Amino acid sequence: MKTAHEIRPGNVIMFNDSPWVVQKTETTRSGRNAAIVKMKLKNLLIESSTETTFKGEDKMDVIILERLDCTYSYFADPMYVFMDAEYNQYDVEAENVGDAARYIVDGMEETCQVTFYDGKAISVELPTTIIREVGYTEPAARGDTSGKVMKPAKIVGSDIEIMVADFVKEGDKIEIDTRTGEFKKRVN
Amino acid sequence: MNAAAPHWDIFCTVVDNYGDIGVTWRLAKQLAGEYALPVNLWVDDLKSFGHILPSLDPEACSQQHQGVTILKWSTPLPVAYTPGAVLIEAFACELPDDVKAAVKDASVRPVWLNLEYLSAEDWVDGCHGLPSFQPGGINKYFYMPGFSAQSGGLICEKDLFARRDAWQASSENKLALFEKLGLKGIAASDKVITVFSYETEALGALCEYFEQQPNPVHLLIPKGRSFNSLLPRLPCPVSELRPGMRIDSGNLHIHVLPMTDQQGYDELLWSADFNIVRGEDSFLRAQWAAKPFIWHIYPQEDDYHLVKLEAFMRLYCDNLAPDLASCWQKLNLAFNQQLPQAVQQHWEALTEFDSALEAHAKQWPIDALKTADLATRLVQFVKKSLR
Repeated sequence: MKTAHEIRPGNVIMFNDSPWVVQKTETTRSGRNAAIVKMKLKNLLIESSTETTFKGEDKMDVIILERLDCTYSYFADPMYVFMDAEYNQYDVEAENVGDAARYIVDGMEETCQVTFYDGKAISVELPTTIIREVGYTEPAARGDTSGKVMKPAKIVGSDIEIMVADFVKEGDKIEIDTRTGEFKKRVN
Repeated sequence: MNAAAPHWDIFCTVVDNYGDIGVTWRLAKQLAGEYALPVNLWVDDLKSFGHILPSLDPEACSQQHQGVTILKWSTPLPVAYTPGAVLIEAFACELPDDVKAAVKDASVRPVWLNLEYLSAEDWVDGCHGLPSFQPGGINKYFYMPGFSAQSGGLICEKDLFARRDAWQASSENKLALFEKLGLKGIAASDKVITVFSYETEALGALCEYFEQQPNPVHLLIPKGRSFNSLLPRLPCPVSELRPGMRIDSGNLHIHVLPMTDQQGYDELLWSADFNIVRGEDSFLRAQWAAKPFIWHIYPQEDDYHLVKLEAFMRLYCDNLAPDLASCWQKLNLAFNQQLPQAVQQHWEALTEFDSALEAHAKQWPIDALKTADLATRLVQFVKKSLR
């Protein structure tokens, strides 16, 4: 059992005797520090999607399906194509990739986990952290080295913009938490 | 198939005395009074509830007040729960297992709602009304109060603004109220500020500022957390403060307020020139009072409460003159961030905008309420869900 707070895009959860692949999660804070988790789910039996909300502490069954370590190969609209160590290719629908697609870039080397249901590749889960290069960000404000002052930065090869520490420069490699989309640290 | 019993059940855990129970008690009264709905309000701490409903018997398992059946929520439940038309868990409180089991086994299941905290943040609209899968194939819905037309709305009784306007039409009403509450020496022209805050150094700083003012300032404070921030000014420990006591220092007069019921608290807010409020219930009532206010928001981890404060301030200041908006926002931020010097500075600066801020405070309730209040939207939501 996992809490809603721990569920990530790519997980498959059981509800009402149906497996649902988690396409997107969005955690927000309610009053008194409680979390609300909004999810976009796709029913793998009837192929329909729905949006739902949970308290952060709600428990749910995550089902373990067959998984394979793969690397990203290319995008053939609407499919993301991944390849395993034996060069077998697997297509994952862009809709099922969900928010993870934000971090998928050509040439990425991180190992992803492709999940299968009934012999079909149904989702992909990224590593918890990935390293990406900063394509554009404003110069640092003078003197701040605390890491507490944040500024937006664009990532090479994608359209995402995340908040990074003020000391980060263009061309720096940074570590990003794929669960929250948050900047973790500079790695070069 | 049997038709569901028509009653509504609201479950509430009392977290900090008056907030959660304040909201659910208002909602229960409104549903019973304006919609003639049979409402059961289950509360886990009747003693605290008694502070805002003095006629409540804290030992009784079941009692009727203002059209609402108030039930004691202890474990096990002293009165059996029977599924009705609607089941509301207030503020994500965890329902008893036997209630969840009864819902699961019911031939006609109630519409099950989680009534969430009020927030002005953008994400509220996207979560309002969404189902939440529960074990056994049951759907629960997240009901999100909010300021937009797409949200669950704001609690406001239908006759509230008319009653407020009638009250504020004559200064006799406020003077009579102060007299009734045992508050001595307040003239009609004196500045009156109610304070219902959490602990903050900002309050002491405002006291320093007020005692230096050329005209009298009266702070009306109920015995409780606000006084913890004023210990050096008190002649005795907080536990020994008595309603009606007055502590004078220069032109500052601090009055110890007796506890009042919700009607009395509304009248107090209507009677003041400025209100310092906290949490959710008093925050909303201060807006409906049509008077300027500071919102002391419930503190959260990582200062997340400031995100919520900023979201509200953006809405509140949307059509305010930039100078006034900036000044009022800085005052609220300084109070919440416990910045004594900044609080004094921004309060002083805000005095230049007194009349414009008062005019805005009068217009805001009309703008904020939009098409319908929370109870009206809730009843519509339930009807739609039952279809």
